[in-house]
Amino acid sequence: MAKPLRIAVVGHTNTGKTSLMRTLTRDTGFGEVSSRPSTTRHVEGARLLADGEVLVELYDTPGLEDPIALLERLEAIEAPGDERLDGVARIDRFLATPIAGRRFEQEAKVLRQMLASDAAFYVVDARDPVLAKHRDELAILGACAIPLLPVLNFVRAPAANESSWREALARLGLHAIVRFDTVAPERDGERRLYEKLGTLLDEYRAALERLVASRERESGARHRAGLRLVAALLVDVAAARVGVAADAESAPRAVLADLHQRVRRREQDGVDALLALYRFRPDDVDAASLPLLDGRWENDLFNPETLRTMGIRFGTGAAAGAAAGVGIDLMLGGLTLGAAAALGALAGGGWQAVQQFGGRMLEKLRGQRALSVDDAILRLLALRQLHLLAALEARGHAAIAPIRLVDPQLHQWREGALPETLLRARAHPEWSNLFGPARGDDARQAVVEALAGELFEARRP
Amino acid sequence: MPVPDFVRLSAFEARWLAEAIRLREEAGGPLADRDAVAAARAAEGDLEARIVHRAGQLGARDGMARTITSWRARSRLLLMLGAAVALTGGFGAALAVLGDGSRAVNVVWALGGLLGVHLLSLVLWAVGLAVGGGDVGGAVGRAWLWLSSHTATGPAAVHVAKALGGLLVRAGLLRWWLGAVTHGLWLIALAGALVGLLVTLSARRYGFVWETTILSADVFVDLVRVVGGLPAQVGFAVPHAALVQASGAAPVFDEAARRAWSSWLVGCLVVYGVVPRALLWALCLGLWRVGRARLRLDPALPGYALLAARLAPASERIGVTDADPGRFARPRANGPHTVAGASALLVGLELPADAAWPPALPAGVRDAGVIDSREERRRLLAALQADPPARLLIACDARQTPDRGSLELIAGLSRYAGEIRVWLTEADVAPGGGRTEHWREALRDIGLAPARIIDSAAMALDWLRGGRAEAENG
Repeated sequence: MAKPLRIAVVGHTNTGKTSLMRTLTRDTGFGEVSSRPSTTRHVEGARLLADGEVLVELYDTPGLEDPIALLERLEAIEAPGDERLDGVARIDRFLATPIAGRRFEQEAKVLRQMLASDAAFYVVDARDPVLAKHRDELAILGACAIPLLPVLNFVRAPAANESSWREALARLGLHAIVRFDTVAPERDGERRLYEKLGTLLDEYRAALERLVASRERESGARHRAGLRLVAALLVDVAAARVGVAADAESAPRAVLADLHQRVRRREQDGVDALLALYRFRPDDVDAASLPLLDGRWENDLFNPETLRTMGIRFGTGAAAGAAAGVGIDLMLGGLTLGAAAALGALAGGGWQAVQQFGGRMLEKLRGQRALSVDDAILRLLALRQLHLLAALEARGHAAIAPIRLVDPQLHQWREGALPETLLRARAHPEWSNLFGPARGDDARQAVVEALAGELFEARRP
Repeated sequence: MPVPDFVRLSAFEARWLAEAIRLREEAGGPLADRDAVAAARAAEGDLEARIVHRAGQLGARDGMARTITSWRARSRLLLMLGAAVALTGGFGAALAVLGDGSRAVNVVWALGGLLGVHLLSLVLWAVGLAVGGGDVGGAVGRAWLWLSSHTATGPAAVHVAKALGGLLVRAGLLRWWLGAVTHGLWLIALAGALVGLLVTLSARRYGFVWETTILSADVFVDLVRVVGGLPAQVGFAVPHAALVQASGAAPVFDEAARRAWSSWLVGCLVVYGVVPRALLWALCLGLWRVGRARLRLDPALPGYALLAARLAPASERIGVTDADPGRFARPRANGPHTVAGASALLVGLELPADAAWPPALPAGVRDAGVIDSREERRRLLAALQADPPARLLIACDARQTPDRGSLELIAGLSRYAGEIRVWLTEADVAPGGGRTEHWREALRDIGLAPARIIDSAAMALDWLRGGRAEAENG
């Protein structure tokens, strides 16, 4: 196995070096992050793995705090005799002096790590002005003679001085620069970071490409798994059906309340599963970015206000009343959603649908009516879950929420027709997990897959 | 330590076990897997290999692996039983169709008896393949699968059975696998019939006839010719028209006629029965083998995606390689002291280039400019040394992070001035005031009491003028 690429993460104090480490390692517990300066006072490493192979070693370092004085010290170092010192020799001599262990303890750690690394990320808080201390800092780091990739952090902040940083870095000969928000990186931010690094380190380019490919595979698999969870939830709820006596004027309250409760619980299970999938703990620092309160939705699913805030209109059907959220399926009584669903099922389900249709006829003859969950609630569930999924993927990516709201898929869920696969599920109460384990495994699985596939297709640009 | 069961599983069975474990965990919550995960992480390979490894450990522990090995043994036994039944059934069918020789053989009945059910099931299989749905793979194969699955015992047998179906359906392999079983058993049955046919035709004398009430003899002549056309291509005989005409009245027993009819019958069985089944069996078996070799677990299934973070983490910690010594060199600022001069001086420390500098200064207050680089620092210190001011106001940008370099400079400046104050500019507009607090803390740490920190321009200039701020703080 080839030797892993060692990268030192360096920068001025409080620019987000440990945040960068956390983002790149996917380890939210790495080191200690705070807005206070000089939080990290030691060098701590982490290995980046792809398919079990160590490809990169990252080292988090303390911030450089007094580069002006340090550069002065370094420049004052003279060789015995007439010998001229290059940057590395100068730093070596400096590290041997006693002051490197006292006043410049932190800086000495950074320099030692720089000399032991193949490359370095120089993390910049783009909100800071470019000052003489930063230039001196870069002069010192440049003397270590390893490729240095400036990483512009907080570039999306309104106070960011990106252009002045770029200009200053270019004047120091640093033309490969990458924008990377360490807390909420853009979707392909990590790829661009490693690609830029690959241009500086030719011999490690293949390894970096493997790392990027592995990361993208992981996130793709997680995304599809999330969509499958959403699809399974929707099928469970769409397929749920409970029989009530037809002569009852309205569905008994207890039955309604029970159905409501089961749907709520199922939704919470879905939320928990998504949170677990994205390894999200409600006490995580960026929990506030999620549309949840302590891991729960703030608004009740069956509150009409919730529907309105999500932009879902009630149909004219039976749902728009006190029994919000439950459609009463009067299969032969009129054009309610039940009939529509049955027609949809007939169109898509072939013989099995005919069997189902027969089953409903039988129910009707037995004097029963079927209670199922209303379309509006399905839409709401879909919207909330997709919203949560997007929020989890963005992880505090503040800019992404407004973009998602005009997402054509969300529009489709809000106002368009429900997917045919869901309508088919309407006709198969045995696919629902709401009342005990589902039956008809293969067929249910196929529908969940198909729905997840539709969600996946729709989300692509 | 006994050899764990999973080492005896084939690659396909190991994946099947992983799938069964996934279903079991989905239904009943996660299994206790600390050791299994540790073992899987120690193993080489990608995520899928680790998922399979973990499942192997868990399956060996609680016996699910044995459920699979016993499933394999049982399904083989069932398959052998089925083969025996098919062989005897086919042989028996041939005997039954030809009879004991006491009666002439009705060729049309004989052909229908030998090939009818087979052709019907072949058509059903093809329809199932084209339409998809629940009956894919042929009835015989499905019956075998049903028997194998429903006789399964052992822990979580239901998950084992479900996992097999799910895995194969998702990969689109069930049809080829069951197809291979269906066609294989039919091939054996038809081969049995062929043997039966050859044995009885060799050892007994049969006369061949055809019978009709309403059809003309030409129909049979054409039928025999058309049906025999394909076998004739590979060398089987077709009874000529005159012979067919003659056989309509009474069995023809001359040698040529016997041989022609029996060759025709055997040819039909081979070409319409044995050969298609053999080809389809080989095709299904080939597709099944190829598909099985390509089969991979889908890491995008929620159960596996959850495991990914634990089995193949994106990173592992190395730990601290260069420890914090626990001490921290910190400069100290001087307190107020008497100096020779009596002037007031304002200096900006590392202010951004776009800062409005200097502010409108009261009379008698000098501006030392904005200090940034090493040279500017040196010049300022030299100037202060030559002419120490009584009051020095140092303006710092509260939006920036205080660092040791700035604090050292502030502490250094305090030595050359009678009294200093630090003015945190932009303290009121700094986001959240977070860094203002850091400045206050850092300044307190170097010995500057909160009273020596000013955060509004008016108060700062007042103090420089020697006005109220001093009176209050003094």
